[in-house]
Amino acid sequence: MRKGAPFDLDAVRTHLATEEGARLWRSLEELSDAPEVRRYIEAEFPDIVQAASIDRRTLLRLMSASLALGGLAACNGSEAGKNAPLLSQSRNMPGYTPGVPLTVATSMPLNGYGRGVLVRTQEGRPIKVEGNPLHPASLGATDVFAQAEILSLYDPDRSDTPLQNGAPRSWEELTNFIRPVRNELVVGEGRGLHILMPPTSSPTLHRLMAQARQLFPFAQWHLFSPVDDDNRRIAATAVFGRDLDFVYDLTQADIIVTLGGDLFAEEPGHLRYAADYQTRRRMQDRPLPGLYAVEARLSLVGARADQRIPLRPRDFEDFVQVLAAALGVGSAPSSAPHPSVSKLADELRRAGARSIVVAGREQPARVHALVHAINARLGAFGTTIRAIDPVRPVSADTGTLVDLAEAIESGGVSRLVVLGGNPVYTAPADIDLASLVRRVPLSLHLGQHRDETAVVCQWHIPELHPLESWGDLRAFDGTVGLRQPVAMPLKPGLSQEEFLGLLAGQGPDGRALVQATWHEAWGEGFEERWARSLEGGVIEGSASPLVALTDRFDVAAELEARTNSAGIDVVFAPDPSVWDGSYANNGWLQELPKPLTKLVWGNAALIAPETAAIFGLSSGDAIDLTVEGRAIRAPVWILPGHAPGAVTLTLGYGRQRAGRIGNGIGFDAYAVRPSRQPWIASGEIRKPGERIPLISTQQHHSLQGRDIVRVVAPGQSAVGESPEHSSLYPEWPYEGHAWGMAIDLDACIGCNACVIACQAENNIAVVGPEEVAKGREMHWLRVDRYHAGDPANPGTYFQPVPCMHCEKAPCEVVCPVNATVHSSEGLNDMVYNRCIGTRTCSNNCPYKVRRFNFLDYQGTDYTASPDAMNPQVTVRDRGVMEKCTYCVQRIGAARADARVEDRPLRDGEVTTACQQSCPTQAIVFGDVNDPGSAVSRLKQSPRNYALLGNLNTKPRTTYLARVEPSRENG
Amino acid sequence: MSSEPQAVTSTVAEVPLSRRFGLIWWIALVVSGAFVLLLGYTLVSVTILGVGVWGVNIPFVWGFDLINYAWWIGIANGASLFAAILVLRRHDLRTSVNRFAEGVALFAVICAGIFPIFHLGRPWLFYWTFPYPATFQVWPQFRSTLTWDFWAISTHAIVTSLLWYVGLIPDLATLRDRARSKTAKRLYGVFALGWRGSVRHWAYHQRAYRLVAILVLPLILIMQSTVAFEFAVTLVPDWHETRQPLHFVATGLAQGLSIVLLVAVLLRWGLRLGHYIDEEDVDLLGKLVLASALVSGYLYLDEIASALLAGGLAQDATFKRITGDYAGLYWTAIVYSILIPQLFWLKAARQSTIAGIFVGVSIGTGIWFDRYSIIVGGLQTDYLPSISRTYSPTLPETGLFLGTVGLFAALLLLFVRFLPVVSMFEIRHDEHEENSS
Amino acid sequence: MTHPLYGLMAEFRSPDALMDAVKAAKRAGFTRLDAFSPFPLSDLAEELGVRTTVIPWIAFAAALIGAVIQYGSQYWMNAVDYPLNVGGRPLDSWPAFVPATLIVAILWAGAATLIGLLLILRLPRLHHPVFAVHGFERVSNDRFFLCILSDDPLFEPAATRNFLNALSPENVREVPACG
Repeated sequence: MRKGAPFDLDAVRTHLATEEGARLWRSLEELSDAPEVRRYIEAEFPDIVQAASIDRRTLLRLMSASLALGGLAACNGSEAGKNAPLLSQSRNMPGYTPGVPLTVATSMPLNGYGRGVLVRTQEGRPIKVEGNPLHPASLGATDVFAQAEILSLYDPDRSDTPLQNGAPRSWEELTNFIRPVRNELVVGEGRGLHILMPPTSSPTLHRLMAQARQLFPFAQWHLFSPVDDDNRRIAATAVFGRDLDFVYDLTQADIIVTLGGDLFAEEPGHLRYAADYQTRRRMQDRPLPGLYAVEARLSLVGARADQRIPLRPRDFEDFVQVLAAALGVGSAPSSAPHPSVSKLADELRRAGARSIVVAGREQPARVHALVHAINARLGAFGTTIRAIDPVRPVSADTGTLVDLAEAIESGGVSRLVVLGGNPVYTAPADIDLASLVRRVPLSLHLGQHRDETAVVCQWHIPELHPLESWGDLRAFDGTVGLRQPVAMPLKPGLSQEEFLGLLAGQGPDGRALVQATWHEAWGEGFEERWARSLEGGVIEGSASPLVALTDRFDVAAELEARTNSAGIDVVFAPDPSVWDGSYANNGWLQELPKPLTKLVWGNAALIAPETAAIFGLSSGDAIDLTVEGRAIRAPVWILPGHAPGAVTLTLGYGRQRAGRIGNGIGFDAYAVRPSRQPWIASGEIRKPGERIPLISTQQHHSLQGRDIVRVVAPGQSAVGESPEHSSLYPEWPYEGHAWGMAIDLDACIGCNACVIACQAENNIAVVGPEEVAKGREMHWLRVDRYHAGDPANPGTYFQPVPCMHCEKAPCEVVCPVNATVHSSEGLNDMVYNRCIGTRTCSNNCPYKVRRFNFLDYQGTDYTASPDAMNPQVTVRDRGVMEKCTYCVQRIGAARADARVEDRPLRDGEVTTACQQSCPTQAIVFGDVNDPGSAVSRLKQSPRNYALLGNLNTKPRTTYLARVEPSRENG
Repeated sequence: MSSEPQAVTSTVAEVPLSRRFGLIWWIALVVSGAFVLLLGYTLVSVTILGVGVWGVNIPFVWGFDLINYAWWIGIANGASLFAAILVLRRHDLRTSVNRFAEGVALFAVICAGIFPIFHLGRPWLFYWTFPYPATFQVWPQFRSTLTWDFWAISTHAIVTSLLWYVGLIPDLATLRDRARSKTAKRLYGVFALGWRGSVRHWAYHQRAYRLVAILVLPLILIMQSTVAFEFAVTLVPDWHETRQPLHFVATGLAQGLSIVLLVAVLLRWGLRLGHYIDEEDVDLLGKLVLASALVSGYLYLDEIASALLAGGLAQDATFKRITGDYAGLYWTAIVYSILIPQLFWLKAARQSTIAGIFVGVSIGTGIWFDRYSIIVGGLQTDYLPSISRTYSPTLPETGLFLGTVGLFAALLLLFVRFLPVVSMFEIRHDEHEENSS
Repeated sequence: MTHPLYGLMAEFRSPDALMDAVKAAKRAGFTRLDAFSPFPLSDLAEELGVRTTVIPWIAFAAALIGAVIQYGSQYWMNAVDYPLNVGGRPLDSWPAFVPATLIVAILWAGAATLIGLLLILRLPRLHHPVFAVHGFERVSNDRFFLCILSDDPLFEPAATRNFLNALSPENVREVPACG
């Protein structure tokens, strides 16, 4: 603070810290009368003061300015980031006993929407993310991104200090630099100030944005996300006259038609939708629902669909128009209707209100408009679809990235604040944001990494990880989940909330900011409700209410129809592993085999077998893809079921400044992404005759006629005349518990959540691209993917394969040193410290689920931080075998609890990591000795069968056959 | 002069006792020595970094390590088996061939023994396969073929070396008595254990030697089967066959014979022992090699036949091995170990040095490719189609193999230089018989 | 003849000469005889009454002991001392215990026979009176020797020397006993 200023700012601040929201302002006003305050202000803003007698409003603004920026200096991270053991601090936590993991409910953002999670922390260190059963978007399940946040939190490449033109600066220096800038902005009421941030659902952020608007009336706000929903907004606004979000209730649906997108992977509510669809399938009293997927690229929902209709992106509009016409909406276009439209129309008409049509976010506005019309005609609104106010509201005066680009062009931007995100990397190709930002006199970036955006901005401020900071997020249905820190900041930084708080003069205390929001909202009874919401992770009854619709469905025509240029359709899609690129530096996700291609450590241009034949391409061949004059070179991957005449590019790769793991992997699809048609463009393919190596963990797609994945008609048995194999060996008795697992192939959607949950729970090493290419990945649980039938439109089957824990385990018999033996409860135990590494056990495992530490995989650049390790699980040494343990540490923990409470273990008390993360409850674990247990009941099902049962290894893990109605007449 | 015992002793004994070793020997020793250094390097690197430096992966958890192990063991067993049979039949060939047949066996076992230890993920713990009261209180798991093999290879090493040494004692005595330099006298004297040719000693010596030589016969059969069991007892579709032991024993014998032939021919040529390893000996060896090659050929046919009988995945596996990505290995094996030896239908070929070397090397190579084909080609077919990878050896792996070849050559060179390569007393004995009859 | 003798040694050119000499000596009633030759002479051994039947018995006994110990230890270790459920197999998986049992039996037999041999022959013994005899080194080459030991009841230096000379050897030499 200024020398000689007789005014103790800190004292004021501490005084104010107890105040919140409105009260804060009141006490400020009281203060403003104090003479020493005036003197202080005069000292701070001499130019203004002498300019004129300052009115009350300006004075308040100036005060908040100085107060706020004083606060910025406070977070110089002196105590944070020291990795000091949190034990002493944790002791003060209610209900904490050292050694016993503590679970904290919070919310994780993805594309601005929230997913409720429970984070398990050990001595103050987050080690595992689970779903929050109370949260509507989770219901206890998680997706790969939420699971992987643990690794992102401990990412060594996270930026830890402010940068000025790349040079490290202390927080004081930052404060001293910004204070005058901000003061001058305050005076100028935000003229020339532009703020770019990703769309958000956070009420607190929106409140702070409003506050900031008051303070900087002339500041211009821009929202940008590479995974945008603009087409939806345009359509909704056109049809219903206002922006809306739509929430689907698949439990009500008998017929589901999806047009592009991926209902089970890319929607804000994807976990919930997958769960609901499975709930619907499990309803015994109603016939199986019909799921029809019209799509260009094979997706998870397409893989699960009863019927897939591969369709070239440019044909969607006609298709939907014909469908609409068949249902009596609008008129059919001249072009010939798609053969299967009439069948689809009949199905929909039959199901009526119990049907639903969903269009993916990449579809043009016209398609969305037509879909609204169809749903309305079917009466779906109110039964299977709820319209709600947009969860990520966008105020009318908010600009886009394009607007920002134009503003900078015209020199109207003097101050640019990039609040989170990495727009310089994710911006469409025709917006050269890097050079534009460089032209701005002063640019400032808040971000977790020194990424592409950080390096072009003059100032970079480290951003806190969502697990380290306060906030709140709305889920797909509007339900609010509070975000609370589960660990002290590993590295000093600010959250978006805190930064906006400072900007808006509300101080840098994230907790206070969020509390202020809800204090305003709730008024009385705040404390009790706040505590309850923190504990539960969700604010009860905060789901958005249904909105009454006033519609005009004839607008489709008004919306601009796409102009079909020649060439091949180029579809852009978020990547199943790195989303929009923000997870590029996450080893778990990079090494996670993508659900349908099983590609790791890179992306590929996905094309249909037919397209490949036309261009004479095979997987791994490079193509030069030109879109609007810009070209990239990318390897192709032949994806069975992909629509011909189209190529799908997944975003998020080819990053230059992601970090030690994510740099230079794959190709950058943004480099050809046009801002006019960010989702579906058209381009040209040339074949340079070069090969770019791709790494896939599964080479063969066909079942080769073996009954590995069994498919039955409803009610049919998976095993014919069940051949009860006789054995020479006497039965081994298992008194007490006998652990077993059942995996329902009818429920599995192949989303990979189980794989990465297993990796996080069991400290499984990331081995890196070279090792995976050699066939040495370490995943204890893999999801095999098979295609059956015509490659142009095959059936797709997923099969998670963990250790089967065979009762007659072949692996154990060949181990010379008793390093793998059976436990009294039938677990196939692996004794790491006894293993000498002969690898014979793997030879003798017909399922090949054993993994070997060929090298010291825990000592590489890919190794996760020791803090991220689960202390309950041994970290394996070089030269030893490892494999799925049925999460034996969880069994042990549950047994200990039961013993302490002197009671038997309850069914469902032990859940394996894979089971817990599964959105569709496809994996069930329990005691097969207990006839009443869930797993026993599943194993009673006629669909139950043992994989490779003819080998008579008596696996404890069995599968439930997938159900396909089409098998009845087949 | 051949009837004059004096001659034998001098010719054979001159070799070890002569001061000048000859340039070729030195060159050979330096070259093989270089490979021994390579061996050391590869072993150190794999111990420090881990078996990841090899091309192994899942499902190809075994590569060159087991291929070369099986190959060397084949040579050792083949040679011992051959020697044992000769002793059993008191065959004349015995006198000239046994000594270095046993030597070849011994050195091959040494080379083979390197692999089971260093192919481990944690080689320094190899002794855990031996039942000793450990702090773990855990014992080895005796149902495992690997423990069987641990006993087999140690037994083979111990018995062969004992047999070989006890057989040497009288000839060491001869060298002791003929040595010119004091040091040589002392050295040979110590190892001769004070043998003084007492008739009583001779009697016990011969009895014991014969008996153990015969004991080797069952040992070899069991051991070679044990190696085969390491594959046969697993569920790997291509390996899970009862015929494996037969295949390994028969092809192993061919391999052993071919190496013995190779060494015999080289000795005749290199040490001018033409008289003591004469045409008849080499000719007979050639016939045996041819016969064993024919037996192997029969077994290759049997393999296909049994695959057809087995049907299902086992059949697919075998045919994939014969026609798939790794078919080259299989057919190379056929050509080298079956077709080329057919040369020996010609007497001229059997007695020509060049042909001997050529066929000897070609069978050795052929069987090596056979082991390669069995292990790698066999592992390529698995129960779940999702398991599909490829294996190719890395440089450290190849270096390791060449290193063991160098070690084998070096040991053989030292053997022929410092020890009598044919049993002198046996030859004296035979010639005495001839004279008296 | 002041210093004590170990015996008298006659040198012959051929095995047959040695054979005749031994027969003669036996006829003369000498019992403490020893013959030396460059290679085994089985019939001469018989003549000297060498019985080697103990060798196979050693082998057999050793094999038996080895087999029992091996199977016993396998059973005790895997089924009694530290029983573990290994792949649901019976604790006493006797078929799997057999191969190692056979191999170890052979190991014991082979090792015991060869080591037993050396014990029987009292080898190694690097120093022996006969080595002192001039020209004895040719025993490992082309000469044959008969030695009548001094502790023979009939041994009487002069007479024995005459007896040996009567067998027309190359020469007869004294074998001094080593102090």
